[in-house]
Amino acid sequence: MTQTVQAPPGAATVPPRVRRGRVKQPRVRTGVNARSNVMAYAMLAPIVLLLTIFVVWPVIYAIYLSFYNWSFYTPPIPVGWRNYVNVLGDRTFIQSVGRGLLFAVIVVPVQLIIGFLFASLVKSVSGKLATVLKVSIYIPTIISGVIASIVFVLIYNYQGGILNAFVGLFGIEKQAWLGNAETALGALTVPAIWLGLGIGTLIMLAGMVDIPPSYYEAADLDGATWFQKTFYITIPLMRNIFLYLLIAGFTAAVQQFELPLVMTDGGPLERTLLPNLYIFQHFRNDTYVGYSIAAAILLMIVLGSISAGIFRVLNSEKAVDG
Amino acid sequence: MRSTTFRALGMVAAASAVALTLAACGSGTPGQPADTGGGGEDVPEGATTVEFWQLSFQEVENDWYTAVVDAFNSSQEEVHVNLTQVPGDAWEQRMTAAQAAGNAPDMYTIAYNGVISAASTGQILSLSEHIGDDVWTDVQPEVLGSVSMGEDHYAFPMLVEPSAVLWYRTDLFEAAGIDAPPATWDELVEHAATLTSGDVFGFGGPQSAGDAGWSTWGLQWNVAGHLPISDDWSEAQCTDEYAPFLQAWQDMYAAGSLPQQALSGVADGNPLGQGQLAMNMGGSWFASVLLNDFPEMVENIAAAPMPSFHGDPTAPTATLGGWTWVVDAKSEVPAEAASFIEHALGGGDDEQLLEYFAATQYSKYSPRTTVNENLIEAASSSENPWAATIAEQIVPNSKPEASYPWDISLAFGTALEQAMQGTDVSAALADCNAEINRLIEANQLAGTAPQ
Amino acid sequence: MAAQTPVTAPAISAIGQAPRSSGRSEGGLKGVLIGAGKAVMATVIVLLALFPLAWMLIAGFKSRSEVVETPFQFFPDVWRVENYQLILQDPEFIRSMSVTFAGAIMFTVLSLAVNSLGAYAFARLEFAFKNVLWVYVITTMFIPGMAILLTSFVVVTRLRMLDTLAVLVLPGAASAAHLFFMRQYYLNVPLAMEEAATLDGASKWEIYRHIFLPMSKPVFVVVGMTSFLAFWNSYVWPIMTITSRDLYQIQQYLATFRSERAAELGMLMAGSTLAALPVLILFLIFQRHIIGGIKIAGLK
Repeated sequence: MTQTVQAPPGAATVPPRVRRGRVKQPRVRTGVNARSNVMAYAMLAPIVLLLTIFVVWPVIYAIYLSFYNWSFYTPPIPVGWRNYVNVLGDRTFIQSVGRGLLFAVIVVPVQLIIGFLFASLVKSVSGKLATVLKVSIYIPTIISGVIASIVFVLIYNYQGGILNAFVGLFGIEKQAWLGNAETALGALTVPAIWLGLGIGTLIMLAGMVDIPPSYYEAADLDGATWFQKTFYITIPLMRNIFLYLLIAGFTAAVQQFELPLVMTDGGPLERTLLPNLYIFQHFRNDTYVGYSIAAAILLMIVLGSISAGIFRVLNSEKAVDG
Repeated sequence: MRSTTFRALGMVAAASAVALTLAACGSGTPGQPADTGGGGEDVPEGATTVEFWQLSFQEVENDWYTAVVDAFNSSQEEVHVNLTQVPGDAWEQRMTAAQAAGNAPDMYTIAYNGVISAASTGQILSLSEHIGDDVWTDVQPEVLGSVSMGEDHYAFPMLVEPSAVLWYRTDLFEAAGIDAPPATWDELVEHAATLTSGDVFGFGGPQSAGDAGWSTWGLQWNVAGHLPISDDWSEAQCTDEYAPFLQAWQDMYAAGSLPQQALSGVADGNPLGQGQLAMNMGGSWFASVLLNDFPEMVENIAAAPMPSFHGDPTAPTATLGGWTWVVDAKSEVPAEAASFIEHALGGGDDEQLLEYFAATQYSKYSPRTTVNENLIEAASSSENPWAATIAEQIVPNSKPEASYPWDISLAFGTALEQAMQGTDVSAALADCNAEINRLIEANQLAGTAPQ
Repeated sequence: MAAQTPVTAPAISAIGQAPRSSGRSEGGLKGVLIGAGKAVMATVIVLLALFPLAWMLIAGFKSRSEVVETPFQFFPDVWRVENYQLILQDPEFIRSMSVTFAGAIMFTVLSLAVNSLGAYAFARLEFAFKNVLWVYVITTMFIPGMAILLTSFVVVTRLRMLDTLAVLVLPGAASAAHLFFMRQYYLNVPLAMEEAATLDGASKWEIYRHIFLPMSKPVFVVVGMTSFLAFWNSYVWPIMTITSRDLYQIQQYLATFRSERAAELGMLMAGSTLAALPVLILFLIFQRHIIGGIKIAGLK
């Protein structure tokens, strides 16, 4: 819905970790009785109702419609698995999924590495400066995909774009960054990294700060270098945070579609046609909606497996830390 | 604590009330934005209202639509047309939303190549029973054929405009010592390279699959003698016959005569007017853009047919694109909508119709024989210096637009874009052929071609 | 007795500094070099992060041809305020900003109310079928937006919500992710205060209202800001569901401006800058809590 496109910052701030104290429910007035049922249901009614109407019903409806040919003008005609067969036989769809994975493989590691270095830096500087750094790195996160797209299209402009002016200083010929099939997807990764860098960095920073200082003190006594401390203390202790950011970032990147929608509309040569944009374009242009819904469900199966992976990984986390 | 339980329930109720209030605010009529013309204020008592959506292009066109609706509304009391002008980028969203809501306008504008698809999927009504044979006989047969299935005519053609004209800069040609527009593709490629310098590119044309999909139908006819699908839509024909066309694009892109990044969409005449292109493949509507927005450039620009691949000057190089008016299948007032169409386009007021062509500087042509005769006569004395060339050398050889589903056109456009970006021409065509065969199979197209 | 926040959002500076490794401080030439290296790296990253926005702000002062001019020039020849003045005089821009702002406020309030009530119930109440309902709610967290975008569109169409503010506010308000986040927070509230209130005869509703709500500020700031941002920045859902210009959302306005008035690049940049301003200001006001909120959520 309003949060379809990127994992909202809020989702990322919520590595779901079931606290061990979960059994600590208030037991003063124990017993499940009718009155507390009514109270609880009254409190849950709004969220359950809204989720049912705007999430659960659409999911069921989508599964149903994916087996039908339906335009807004004719009654639905059942077609069995035909929509799915057609989607899977469509090279463009398969390629778009592969491209989405490739896009994520570029975006996520770069985000993690820059974020890690920056978090290490912030950790080692004094309070005022650390605040300035944290606020600066977070600011791109609050900028909309549309504004980022508008700005980056002009940065990449062939005639008079700032990037071409910059590479020109090194004697490199100007490039059609978004017009050339070889560079277009790479060009899209930059705003994607830019938009998502802040939240990942701060989550990592919070994790780093959590590592007990005594570990480093002991290492210092042994004369360990920064690299040794990083590889033998920091990174192993942040394993779960890396895993979380990796998987959450991955699903968000595969689903990115505002950037290609506004910047390139999937071109040139479909090289920036990420899977969600492919589905959206079909919905916009097709007379029958079943095909695009079938494609969306197939993508959901891929992403759902990844998301379920996140949840399992993070739920097992409590066994790891001390 | 019963009372607090009730308070909690009360809060839920209040939240629901907020929700309902929210649902009630806003315009409340999905897909029906505020009307922008048609004098919606004074609807005569008892008149039937017809909602009409028009895709807006140029201001002069919008003014004409408003005028023709106003004139019709004030000429009688029974039917009131309510006009809405929708900008291009919002059109698909709005139409999908309105159709899904069961709230589509009674009538709207649609391009020729969309008519058959819309008709065969039951989105628009046949106009044959509402508009008499005597009106249809004035419509040029090949144009009428492109909006008809069997005996039924599904759209009333408003205008035709060749999709591909070679616009070129006489001043730059002269400076480069070239004295005539290219007559062959070899010449075009060669001139394009010669004319490229600094901020001026030698040639502008479609560079994305989407743009190439519709703007190159004429050149597809020209180079291969057919479109990339058989007449009955049973089999792909994206053969090596198209190779010279793809090769030309590949060569011009590699040479830098085509911009590395398209300056704008192929339908946009602005880069030519701004002096960024020496030659530009563009629609006849560029005339109107140039005359209205770039008058100082007019004397330096000439028009010619696109060159022919095999040397036959009468082979088609363009298709006749343009717009028609249709009535939605769910309209409850089809007869009233049709009466307005007949009045505006079908002979009810041809003086007013001619004003449309005058306002757009005779950059478009009428599909109706009688109107077109008057139009060509008026054009000869107009300020449009290119009208005669286009009317005499391009329109007569043009083909109607392709009526198969858009994906097929896009498959060819993709092949052209691929070749341009460096893919081997034969490989791009083989891909195109396989993709079209797949689309035929997936959409069960075989044998569904009209006629 | 109320507002004793058990998990205080730590101040930003606290995150950065907390476990400074004491012991040996690096001195001498090596220390200076490391310090200089850090300074350079910090400057480079901050510049890269803020550069696109700075350029957008400055491009807003350029004439239409200067924005993408060859040869490129970072600063305009003449600083023109006209772009900002003109866009501020465009009634459609002002209307989009106002409508989006009003919608975002409604959305944020609704989202806080709905999700915190649910979070409280799951964290602190016992009731029949709790586990079933929990699984039902949490499962929705794993459904990607695109899978339901198309049928949600059909659903809101059936509900006659298209082209109203409701279609923007209602569908996204309930969020399992936000509920989860708030529930984690409520689970951490110590039992003592609640027990005292219960002994005084307070109902669960009163406990929520008088104990939990007042201490929810840190978590409300995080969830509220996230909701506000999601609403303010949303583009795809509005372009599918909002067709009348009276209700155009700000991102929709910008995208439409870009396609309809392609030549007015300076104004487009000015409009984009102004459209980013409200969320930027909100973020700067609440940055302490938001950055602190990441700690609450992620790590403790």
